[in-house]
Amino acid sequence: MERLRIFSARLRGLFRRRQLDGDLDAELSAHLEMLTEENIRRGMSPAEARYATRREFGGVEQAKQLYREQRSMQLFDALLEDLRFALRGLGKRPGFALVAILTLALGIGSTTAVFSVVDRILFRSLPYPQDDRLVSFGDRAPFEANEFVLGPDYVDWQKAQTPFESVTSFVPGGADCDLTEQNPVRLKCALVESTFLPTFGMQPFLGRNFTSDEDRPNAARVALVSYGLWRSRFASDRNLPGRAISLDGRPTVVVGVLPAQFEMPNLGRDDILVPAALDGSTDRGPNARPVILRVFARLKPGITIKQAAAAMEPLFQQSLNYVPPQFRHEVSFRVRSLRDRQIQDARVASWVLLGAVLAVLLVACTNVANLFLARATSRARELAVRTAIGASRGRLVRQALTESLLLGALGGLVGCWLAQLLLRLFVSIAPEGIPRLEQATIDLRVLLFALGISLLSGMLFGLASALRRPAPELLTGKENHGRSRGLLRQLLVTVQIAVSLILLAGAGLLLGSLWKLETVALGMDATRVITAGIDLAEYRYPDALKQLAFFNQLEARLKHMPGVTWLALSDTLPPAGGMQATFLSAIEIPGHAKFNTGTGGMISYRYVTPAYFSALSIPIRRGLGFREEDRSPAERPVILSEALAKKLFSDGEDPLGKSFRFGSQNDWRTIVGIAGDVKNNGLAAPADPEFYIPWKNETAGHFRSAHLIVQSAIHPEAVARWIRSETAAIDPTVPVTIEGLTTRVGKLAERPRFTAVLLSLFAGMGVLLAGIGIYGVVAFLVAEQTREIGIRIALGATPRTVLRMVFSNMVRWTVAGAALGLLGAWLSAGLLKSLLFEVRAHDPFLLGSALFVLLAVAFFAAWIPARRAIQVDPMIALRYE
Amino acid sequence: MAPPRGEVLQGTLDLIVLQTLHAMGPLHGYGIAQRVQQVSGDLLKLNQGTLYPALLRLEQRGWISSKWGASENNRKAKYYSLTRAGRKQLLAETESWERMTALMSRLLGGTEGA
Repeated sequence: MERLRIFSARLRGLFRRRQLDGDLDAELSAHLEMLTEENIRRGMSPAEARYATRREFGGVEQAKQLYREQRSMQLFDALLEDLRFALRGLGKRPGFALVAILTLALGIGSTTAVFSVVDRILFRSLPYPQDDRLVSFGDRAPFEANEFVLGPDYVDWQKAQTPFESVTSFVPGGADCDLTEQNPVRLKCALVESTFLPTFGMQPFLGRNFTSDEDRPNAARVALVSYGLWRSRFASDRNLPGRAISLDGRPTVVVGVLPAQFEMPNLGRDDILVPAALDGSTDRGPNARPVILRVFARLKPGITIKQAAAAMEPLFQQSLNYVPPQFRHEVSFRVRSLRDRQIQDARVASWVLLGAVLAVLLVACTNVANLFLARATSRARELAVRTAIGASRGRLVRQALTESLLLGALGGLVGCWLAQLLLRLFVSIAPEGIPRLEQATIDLRVLLFALGISLLSGMLFGLASALRRPAPELLTGKENHGRSRGLLRQLLVTVQIAVSLILLAGAGLLLGSLWKLETVALGMDATRVITAGIDLAEYRYPDALKQLAFFNQLEARLKHMPGVTWLALSDTLPPAGGMQATFLSAIEIPGHAKFNTGTGGMISYRYVTPAYFSALSIPIRRGLGFREEDRSPAERPVILSEALAKKLFSDGEDPLGKSFRFGSQNDWRTIVGIAGDVKNNGLAAPADPEFYIPWKNETAGHFRSAHLIVQSAIHPEAVARWIRSETAAIDPTVPVTIEGLTTRVGKLAERPRFTAVLLSLFAGMGVLLAGIGIYGVVAFLVAEQTREIGIRIALGATPRTVLRMVFSNMVRWTVAGAALGLLGAWLSAGLLKSLLFEVRAHDPFLLGSALFVLLAVAFFAAWIPARRAIQVDPMIALRYE
Repeated sequence: MAPPRGEVLQGTLDLIVLQTLHAMGPLHGYGIAQRVQQVSGDLLKLNQGTLYPALLRLEQRGWISSKWGASENNRKAKYYSLTRAGRKQLLAETESWERMTALMSRLLGGTEGA
């Protein structure tokens, strides 16, 4: 209570300082006057009286000082004073302040931004209760990135499984569906089981989940709508559950609304969940409807993923008996955490970025430490003076702390801003499919952590010097040689050089790989080609007949555009993948034994119109391309890619004219030509073998979505406009996505570009900081040795010998750092292996270039202050200090 | 470290000031200093300046209050007076002081007697 009163009195004193000072003056002078008067009354002369007064009263200023200290919050006052002093000190050396603040900002900003991104990917929990118990499991096969389960197996496993609390599934490839009320919209619908929400521990935000009865074939149609759709389309109507909407032209009752934070486990953006209505059939016969499922489960408490996998293995082995023999060797069973499934290959890149940014932080920290060490050394004399005139040790330490805190606060501020900027940059250059990037925000904890780390390093070294008792000999004007600390500083620079070299080497590898990727031979010419993706709504174009009619009509209209060199249609486009495919083992050639050791991998195929090869400039190596006549149902030609031809006719036999049949098709086709290989499954993967079938006028098949391929010499904008208007003339509801093929191809390199650009950015920062570090150390050494250099020059040293003296020192620790860095780069290159494309992890050229860049920077950083050394005027140097 | 002879311990000075104000009623700093000098004779060597921080301390604790007034010869001066809390404090301090001196005299007397 009393303390509080004193505190509040002092606090008030703080704000009314001037008035209180005036009061005190008045009070004291009154006292003095009264005392003087009294003394005069006793018979002293005025002068004597004043003197006596002084004696009796004691020091007026001391009394005032004591009084003020009692009145004010001394610590706060001293802090203000320290702050003022620190600011003045920084203002006097703006270079030091600027470099320190920039260094801190770079370290703090980049660490925070990157961590904010990867935190979401690697560390933050998924938006499901007890997310660590959620797994995905199923068959793993070489032709599919994610595990899957066949329908009959799912039924069996679900009954017999032991490690899971609950198991659920959804049907992959969530179909487009159309909300066919007024203003129809195309939505994404996911087919899920009624156990789906409970397994993930989610509950509808409004209404209810669908029941198991509603999740049966031929049950009344029900749906759950997403929170986003509920808000945008249904105006947040709380009475929506129970209402019927028209989905794909059929009435469907909305039973519930999903919560806002709901997320599909495959991160799909589905608007509506509808019951999968699996029939629970275990029919594996030839007439069974093939069902493939993505299966998720919640582990029982205490069961690990390994245990679960072991428990499921016997069930998997049992199921293998039903699988065609060629499958058995290629399929294995996998259980993995939901997080692992979600982030896929973003994991390696995330760790690489995290590592890189921590390296930058390390370099930044050493730089800050170095700066503070240099400053401390150059201020040793000042500290000695301050000690001599009575500053206490505590006061000096406090001063050092204030300075580092001030720098830290400023650096943190700029770092905050930089982090925001970098994060925006990341998001803008990030490719599709980096999970949860759009949710990334600046993470306050990380910001504080980075700030703390860099401050600590500065403070540690700032303090180290303040804590050392300043030697009074410093006041004699003799040179002092902080040898031991000089060594520490050089050690720090060695570390910086090593770390920067590792960063540079990593960036070099990724850039080299990116270069290879960007210039990879596609097997086709994408320039001047415009593509238009067209999706037909199922409810408007329910069968192949109607779908083909639409596309044929469109083709006929577009053909007459002036300036169009080639116009083709295809169901898929290289090099993005997504083709239809069959197993190699499902291909038959008369007179050839069927491939029967395993599946042989996937062989892709597409439907194309005859102009396809010309439009994309894909060469026909042998035989012929398709003719217009081939589009009639009677003709059955096929064109193989070179890779497939080599695979099928390995013994030098001529494939032309041979018969060919695949999958479950009954009709034989004739091989009429061999086309050049085209990158068709991403840029990094080798060209998959494929074959082409003419785009038919037949009724069997599925032609809901197709790509128009237009090669034209005129402006792409004009072509795009024209495609849009012609499409709209046939059916204005059909959505068209128009893109240059070069843009499409460029997008495939987006992810490696993202990683490479970021890593290069960090490597650049690391090198810049290391350069600053080297500059600082050399400049400091030169300044410290100015007198020595002056004497040497006076005694006849040439600029060359002076340079040698300055450089010999630098070369020693640069070489040491470079050696360390090379070793580190060599070791860490292995970690990058999975991100590289056609670049060896230990490419000597790239490593050499990184080394060269680093040495060049080191040399220039040392050169600037070294030049100052040879320009030292001996006369000035000798008078120095 | 023992204070040099005749110098005033902080706590003692507080007690003296409180007692003075108790005995004399509201007084300005000069008056208090005169009174202290007068009472103690040469026993206490008080730098009058040190009185002011002590007054401020007492005021911050709420034991005395101050207000501006006019002195005997019409000069502006700050008058200090004892508050209720100050009176209580004085009582408590006097008591503990007396206990202390009683203890000390018994202790010292006992030593002499042995």
